[in-house]
Amino acid sequence: MIFRSIKWRLLLWMAFFLSLILAGLGIALCHIHLVDQLNQFDDRLLGRVATLSSSLYTPPPAEMDNHQPGGNPGLTVVNDSSATGDLSGAPTNRISPPADKPAPGTLQLPPDIVRLFGTQNTNSYYYVLWPRGESDPFKQSANTPDGVTHPHTAEKDTGTHIRVRRMFREAYHVTEHGDCVLVGRTATEEYDEATRFARLVFLGAAGVLGLILAGAWGLLVRALRPLEKISAAALKIASGDLSQRINIPDTDSELGRLAAVLNSTFARLETSFSQQRQFTSDASHELRTPISVLISEAQTTLARERSPDDYREALGASLDAAQKMRRLTESLLELARLDAGQEMLRRENANLATIVQDSVKFVRALAAEARVQIHCDLVDVEIYCDAGRIAQVVTNLLTNAINYNYEDGEIRISTRREGSTAVLIVADKGQGIALGDLPRVFERFFSADESRSAGNSGLGLSICKAIVEAHGGSIAVTSIIQRGSTFTVRLPV
Amino acid sequence: MRILVVEDEPRLLHNLTKALREEGYAVDAAADGEDGLFKAESFNYDAIILDIMLPKLDGWEMLERLRQKKRTPVLMLTARDGHNDRVKGLDTGADDYLVKPFDLSELLARLRALIRRSLNQTSSKIEVRDVVLDTRARSATRDGNPVVLTAREFAILEYLAVHRGEVISRTELYEHLFDENDATFSNLLDVHIFSIRKKLGSDLVATRRGQGYCIE
Repeated sequence: MIFRSIKWRLLLWMAFFLSLILAGLGIALCHIHLVDQLNQFDDRLLGRVATLSSSLYTPPPAEMDNHQPGGNPGLTVVNDSSATGDLSGAPTNRISPPADKPAPGTLQLPPDIVRLFGTQNTNSYYYVLWPRGESDPFKQSANTPDGVTHPHTAEKDTGTHIRVRRMFREAYHVTEHGDCVLVGRTATEEYDEATRFARLVFLGAAGVLGLILAGAWGLLVRALRPLEKISAAALKIASGDLSQRINIPDTDSELGRLAAVLNSTFARLETSFSQQRQFTSDASHELRTPISVLISEAQTTLARERSPDDYREALGASLDAAQKMRRLTESLLELARLDAGQEMLRRENANLATIVQDSVKFVRALAAEARVQIHCDLVDVEIYCDAGRIAQVVTNLLTNAINYNYEDGEIRISTRREGSTAVLIVADKGQGIALGDLPRVFERFFSADESRSAGNSGLGLSICKAIVEAHGGSIAVTSIIQRGSTFTVRLPV
Repeated sequence: MRILVVEDEPRLLHNLTKALREEGYAVDAAADGEDGLFKAESFNYDAIILDIMLPKLDGWEMLERLRQKKRTPVLMLTARDGHNDRVKGLDTGADDYLVKPFDLSELLARLRALIRRSLNQTSSKIEVRDVVLDTRARSATRDGNPVVLTAREFAILEYLAVHRGEVISRTELYEHLFDENDATFSNLLDVHIFSIRKKLGSDLVATRRGQGYCIE
């Protein structure tokens, strides 16, 4: 599902909120615009109604031949029929109401005012004039739509008002005499204009939304590209290619940091896998050599009749090979058990000096055979340890020191206490270890002499290290080639 | 046929040498890469059995250096059976590959095949007129009747037969039939040739005076 991806989800959420905001803004904008339009519209209406009402009672111009009942404010209305459509000549046609009709004031409409109003055009301004108390218009323009009724305002309610009737907006003014004059016009244009404006706003908002989303998509793709790299690399690693790394240049971003962490994890995984592979490969190699000897020994011997001496020799060689395999499998098992955890240590309080003395006794015959002297400098240190295992470490170090020594060489072994640490030092003046080999001596199956024909499995120091570390201690070596090596074991008291 | 075995495990070297000698090969042994390379370069062995894990100079290195000078057939022997190792071995110029622990009979069969290939032979049987040599069973027949030959006699005959038409000098014959541990007396060769002629007919092996022997 493509829409389940983070990119799409973020984008859809963003689109949703952005649309809400833009819709709100757009509606507000349209509203303000419409109100503004209508206000301007109303202002024009008001202006006209004001002009109209202010000219209602002014006396007719002197040059006009109108009948003016003296002193009596008869109703005088300037006929605007001439103004309807004919603005050129502007001849005024005056209608004089019957003189006996009671008039609230001299109502008249100057032609230049009337000319301001529309003709037949239904889209232009129209006016209606009601004398006081009458609900039929006294005068209205030709384009006055149907249904314009007297606002029926209360007597006292003089002044100017606005009313809205369907598409029409009308301003009316009730004069102090109670006459009512109304100016109106259809607001269709304004509403059309508002619709046009709303359409523009909508298009603009859609455009802005599109632009922002496109930009956001670009940013998202950029921001999430590392994730895709990570998942691609993880996929390759899952399918077995441990050398894969995630290449993200921006290491300070969240994803960059994640990639860095993953990379170091992958590196550790790869190292541990390759160590494991190396170990398995080495172990099988070490086991195959004696098996090869065993098989070839038996096959060669059985190929024809042999003398009893030949058989004896072959059996002896087979036994040697079998012993070698036994030693190797035991070492491997021991390492496996030490790797598995500490539960196999049988710890008790023991004196390191005593353990060393016992070990020295154990290798004395070997040392004498190799004509190597062992000097002891032992201080009693009580440690809480598996004495058998520690003895194994000491014996192993001593055996190495003897085997890689010169004839008439010597070994110094010492114990002492440094704070809460017991220190054991085995120093020989033997062949030493080459500088390049030094970091690898504790590696499994590492042996400085490649042939390993000397019955050396290459596991002795690995086992020493595993035992010491199982006790929470450490083992280290310094060496100078042809001068000798010094192994230092530190164990917690 | 003279073979060089380079193997660092002494007991395995001993066994291989012994088994190969019993098969009628002349065998030289080397316990490390340097010694192996020296011997391989200084003599034209018919085949070399080479271990990979060797002190001083490992099998790869030795093979690479040898290949710059010689085309001696090489059978690699190793305890590693990784796919990469096999490919690397064959790419470096090894002619065959055998993983330890191996079966002795397989090793011998591969060695025979290797030598046969290097001499452009397709079969383990060589026919010379009415005489048939079976290099696998190391036996000879004349007109279908088995003829009993000593290992040395068979080896001389085999060497001359596979190099049929070539004149083989006494020195070359010596070098390929006797290894570094054999006490060589020049007249012994004449004794063997005499015996072969007596068993298989006097005209089978021709003597080129002053040059050597030849099967035509």
